[in-house]
Amino acid sequence: MLRRAVLQTFRQGLAQSFFKRNAVSLSETTVTHQPIETSDEADEKSVSKQKPGDESGNTVVVAPPEFRFMYPEFLPDPAMERRNRLKEKLERIDMLQRRSVVEIPEFYTGSVMAVTVADANSPNKFARFVGICIQRGGSGLRAWFILRNVVDKQGVEILYEMYCPLIQKIEVLRLERRLDESLLYLRDALPEYSTFPLDMEPERRLNNSVVPINPLKVKLRPRPWLERWERQNLQGVEDLNLPQRFYDKAEKVAKPWEKYDLMLQYRKTIPAEEQEKIFADVHSQLQQQEFKRKIRRRRGIDNEQ
Amino acid sequence: MNQADLSKLVSALRIAVKPKPRRFSCPEGPAGRLEKLRATVTALVKYERIELNHPRAEEAQGYAERLISDAIRNGDCHKHTMEMADYWLNEKQLVHKLFKVLVPRYQNYNSSFTRLVLGPKTYPGYYVGTAILELKGNPFPALQPETHNYHYWLHNVLLEEAKKEFRSARQDRNAGTTESVTAES
Repeated sequence: MLRRAVLQTFRQGLAQSFFKRNAVSLSETTVTHQPIETSDEADEKSVSKQKPGDESGNTVVVAPPEFRFMYPEFLPDPAMERRNRLKEKLERIDMLQRRSVVEIPEFYTGSVMAVTVADANSPNKFARFVGICIQRGGSGLRAWFILRNVVDKQGVEILYEMYCPLIQKIEVLRLERRLDESLLYLRDALPEYSTFPLDMEPERRLNNSVVPINPLKVKLRPRPWLERWERQNLQGVEDLNLPQRFYDKAEKVAKPWEKYDLMLQYRKTIPAEEQEKIFADVHSQLQQQEFKRKIRRRRGIDNEQ
Repeated sequence: MNQADLSKLVSALRIAVKPKPRRFSCPEGPAGRLEKLRATVTALVKYERIELNHPRAEEAQGYAERLISDAIRNGDCHKHTMEMADYWLNEKQLVHKLFKVLVPRYQNYNSSFTRLVLGPKTYPGYYVGTAILELKGNPFPALQPETHNYHYWLHNVLLEEAKKEFRSARQDRNAGTTESVTAES
């Protein structure tokens, strides 16, 4: 009984150990292109395309289709009541300005990252945290991601806002994707799935053009859990082995018609024409920044030599 | 987590889309709402012009536009589009009509594919009134007369110029009489 109480408080501790930190950084990592999973873009290449041209005969530069996965925070919040084109345009300018100062690399849920934040209260004035990205969200300058790690047997999650001026450096130590878009189930999984050494070195990838998908299936601890994982259609979790009544109730409560609700999907997405316009706007500047970084890095290597 | 969903690419709809969907009362609840709208969309694709109550017409218009725009964007070899067409069209020959007739018809449209015209509000009856929902390019006679812009037709241009001349002449005359009055006083 005592042991169960301890486990309970441990899990509550995990849930309650949210605290915000922000940091800024200047680092240079190669911007890689990810494999496009949807059947739409299965055959397209990761090079910026030139449209055949509008009526005037000028070529129109169009961003590659993977941009929406690499930079999802450039797309605005789809809720119609909160759309404001001017505000979105100004935000994009600010985001690009911030990206020219700090390198915010491409990452996905399931990537292991290290973030360095300016912290007045720590001895080195910087605080570095390594963790696996379990969720990312927000749009525009409010874009955030959550890193999770287990430190001294205590699960710790930190929410970082990507464009906060306190962030010094964002490094991606292992760039990969998982089978789910949200890894919140790691809170109920065995601790080894969330543990990463704090002095982890960045890993080199053999194939730079494709972001690998880790097909790992995670083992969960026995119930009680923080959420009803059996109702969420998780791909990255091992068989839950629950009594049948759980699955029956999940079926009763499920909304299978939402899969066919076309207007629900529409209200949750930004239409393709708008996406193209936004990324065409942003694409040339991002390319310029990447180019400058490469030059700086090459110069740095030459100076060392 | 208010990031836009990236899993599907959708075309922009050229109709006014309200931020919240309408709920329809039915015994099956939310599941029944889509069943009802399915029947409406099937009827629209089958008959190309239907008369029904205004709220259901507005909702069905959105779903019909989405179905047609997906069919145009992805074609009939796209698995998801075919699943949607299979769900939304209760009669399977209408799936053929969608891809073989409606997609070529609307391929180069820059406007919406459907038209919603408000119908009569008969008393006593449903307060919100009826509406007529039709697919554009249908073979029936038009519901509303065509609107032409007659402003730049020759006789109207000449008449406008004549009016301007008359008014300026009247102004000069009035100015002349007031001056003579002030001069006298």
